[in-house]
Amino acid sequence: MTTATTAPADTSQGVWRHRHIIDVDVVTWPEIELIMRTTDEMKGVLARPIRKVPALNGRRVTTLFYEASTRTRVSFETAARNLSADVVSISTATSSVTKGESLVDTVRTLEALGTEFLVMRHSVSGAPYLAAEIFGGHVLNGGDGWHAHPTQALLDLYTMRERLPGGDLRGRKVAIVGDVLHSRVARSNIWTLTAAGADLWLCGPATLLRGMDRWAAAWSGGAIPGHGRFNVTSDIEAALRDADVVMGLRIQRERMQGGLLPSLREYAARFQLNAERISLARPEAIVMHPGPMNEGVEISPDVAVSGRSVITDQVTNGVAVRMALLFLLAGAHEQAPSEAAR
Amino acid sequence: MSADAGRGGRAGAGPGVGEKVGRFELARAWLVDPASGREGPGEIVVADGILESVVWLEGDDAGDVTDHGVVVAPGLFDFHAHFREPGFEDAETIATGSAAAAHGGFTSVALMPNTSPPGDEPGVIERIHSAARASGSPVEILAYGAVSAGRAGEQLSAMGELADAGVLGYSDDGAPVRTAKLLRSALLYAGMLGLPVVEHAEDLELTAGAEANEGYVASVMGLAGWPTAAEVNAVSRDLAVLADALADEPRARLHLTHLSTAAALDLVRRAKAAGLPVTCDVTPHHLSLADEWVAGARRWAWEALDADGRARDPWADRALLAAPYDTSLRVNPPLRTPVDAAACLAALLDGTADAVATDHAPHTVVDKEVEFGRAATGISGIETALGVLLALVDAGKLPLGRAIAALTTGPAGLVAASPHTAGISAARPRGLMEGVAADLVVFDRSDRWRVTPDALLSKGKNSPFIGRELPGRVLLTIAAGRLAYEDPGIGDDAA
Repeated sequence: MTTATTAPADTSQGVWRHRHIIDVDVVTWPEIELIMRTTDEMKGVLARPIRKVPALNGRRVTTLFYEASTRTRVSFETAARNLSADVVSISTATSSVTKGESLVDTVRTLEALGTEFLVMRHSVSGAPYLAAEIFGGHVLNGGDGWHAHPTQALLDLYTMRERLPGGDLRGRKVAIVGDVLHSRVARSNIWTLTAAGADLWLCGPATLLRGMDRWAAAWSGGAIPGHGRFNVTSDIEAALRDADVVMGLRIQRERMQGGLLPSLREYAARFQLNAERISLARPEAIVMHPGPMNEGVEISPDVAVSGRSVITDQVTNGVAVRMALLFLLAGAHEQAPSEAAR
Repeated sequence: MSADAGRGGRAGAGPGVGEKVGRFELARAWLVDPASGREGPGEIVVADGILESVVWLEGDDAGDVTDHGVVVAPGLFDFHAHFREPGFEDAETIATGSAAAAHGGFTSVALMPNTSPPGDEPGVIERIHSAARASGSPVEILAYGAVSAGRAGEQLSAMGELADAGVLGYSDDGAPVRTAKLLRSALLYAGMLGLPVVEHAEDLELTAGAEANEGYVASVMGLAGWPTAAEVNAVSRDLAVLADALADEPRARLHLTHLSTAAALDLVRRAKAAGLPVTCDVTPHHLSLADEWVAGARRWAWEALDADGRARDPWADRALLAAPYDTSLRVNPPLRTPVDAAACLAALLDGTADAVATDHAPHTVVDKEVEFGRAATGISGIETALGVLLALVDAGKLPLGRAIAALTTGPAGLVAASPHTAGISAARPRGLMEGVAADLVVFDRSDRWRVTPDALLSKGKNSPFIGRELPGRVLLTIAAGRLAYEDPGIGDDAA
């Protein structure tokens, strides 16, 4: 037996109490540490010749994706198979959803068919809460609207800790650059990185930072228990200077039609993560991107594949983090009262 | 029926809903008469449907009667509601809406014309009045006509014929009058007929795709922002057009419904000071709830302000108690900040807001049990309006008399005095006047009631107050001398 399949949740750091992973806002720092340690163990599993443990043997995981996705979906499915789960994959193009079936009906149907773990992605913010309200099993959010992408934020955190000397984010400068307004990745990273003690900077054109100033202002006084302040700026040089971590976010072509950007060319000229700009960061700084990348727009091809880039590490770690979360949820039999509402 | 010093009681079998109230006596209650501005201990007698006597008790006679127990007030008038008939009877009907209204203490209700077909022709209005008669409810059902044919914003509706059919004004509610040009024509033509245009002020381009009030909460929640500017821009347009129209038609009148932002209310305050014939209303939900409810907060808007009148942080306060993205909170205009809610209250207190109107907007489960951004907008609110205002009274934010006036004389004063409205009883002064058909509500401020799907008589269970208690159980509603609602508990402890 492996450590991963036999180790109970570490009670010294607080028992795992979550039934769902919908957002990281309700996950405490000791719980994040537990996820990180469990991810370490899953990385150990992935390093073996046979990357499979029986932790979720016979358990049913369904991925329900209302939005296109390659890496998140494949990553979840790989993680579930590595834990020996039975995996069913539903995309809206081939399901009753195209016949107008509601989310609620779809989720009830999946539960009746025996699904215990529902991994979902949806274009509307908050959709997984609706699923969780009626679903008897565990909901894992694979991204909802602009709201949250908790597994991405956790794999980002894991990757940063893995690559930064000492494995500690405290005082480390992290710059997230791009379309922050529409980014669930940025929102979830705000929660985890301010909890980790990072010096977080969000950067992009003013049109793609809308509303984030108000959020940063609300948190500027250190009012939120367990979370530090963060910075919002359109000054790309200020954001990148002496950064330890630089993360690019995807810029979508629709943003021009929405009148938010003059052109991709202009975006690239002012905000692209290219070699010259990255040189403002610390020499040992790492470059990240949640994918999929528009190379030549938000990131230059040479930076994307440079020695600083940990983008493929993010993909590998994503599988381990998702294994860890499925494993922890599978052991979560008791629901804490405080969790009931979430 | 008779009652003394507290809960109403009734001897023997009383009238059913819709039947004339033969005799009802209430001794030692707190009477509120907004028409005269008087309130205090008193007793009333209703005989043969007529409010036979109103006696104000003085000195020892008043005993220990306070305004914290049983209260008698004129029947309430909702200036803005949706009963969905014709066309959307699975969400509400005239009959179920009337029953809900009476449960909420309302005896007159004005219905918006965004039905299917819309109320752009007199036949639709006649159908509504016919359904009201058939319902058996004595609640007075009034109707607005549409401003534009098909509510499409291109041509005027059959405005004159609609006036002849008894509409009390015109509105394309659910949406603004599409263009300033058409609004100008509508103000002139409605002014000629002596009727107001009731405007839903929203800049649709600024709110395209919007999900929640633009601000801190929407930013954290990843919801597309619904900017204050969308309301301010629309109100600015409407006021400019009104000022312009007045040059040609001095009887042009504009009413802005469900205003929700401090900035828009401030524009109305200044326009009124400048003498423009503009009026406005605010809703119970914009007075009492804030956008933080979408994140899961469940405290009153006035509890979400700090000592300096700034919005508190629900995350910092650990005030998020419920699941986020509850679609019962999705409403147009959206729930705003606690500061905006305070501005709605200030507007009510200083007279900038003339009335509280519910914007009762029942929806089916099918239209609400969906993703937040896809849910139909609207709150089923006609049964909770009085309780919400009484919560403001209990909190010391609003005098009882002002709360009642906002639901009685306030909206009644908005009904234009015109030949077309002569038959509308809502237009008469709403007071406790002897010798006329009894039209009143009796409620108990010392008794609370739990809002549950079963407790709501409306088909629309889309209330954010589900599961919560509200003050002021309605014991009895009498409309035009006939029984409209009676609390099921009354018969149990018959005196």
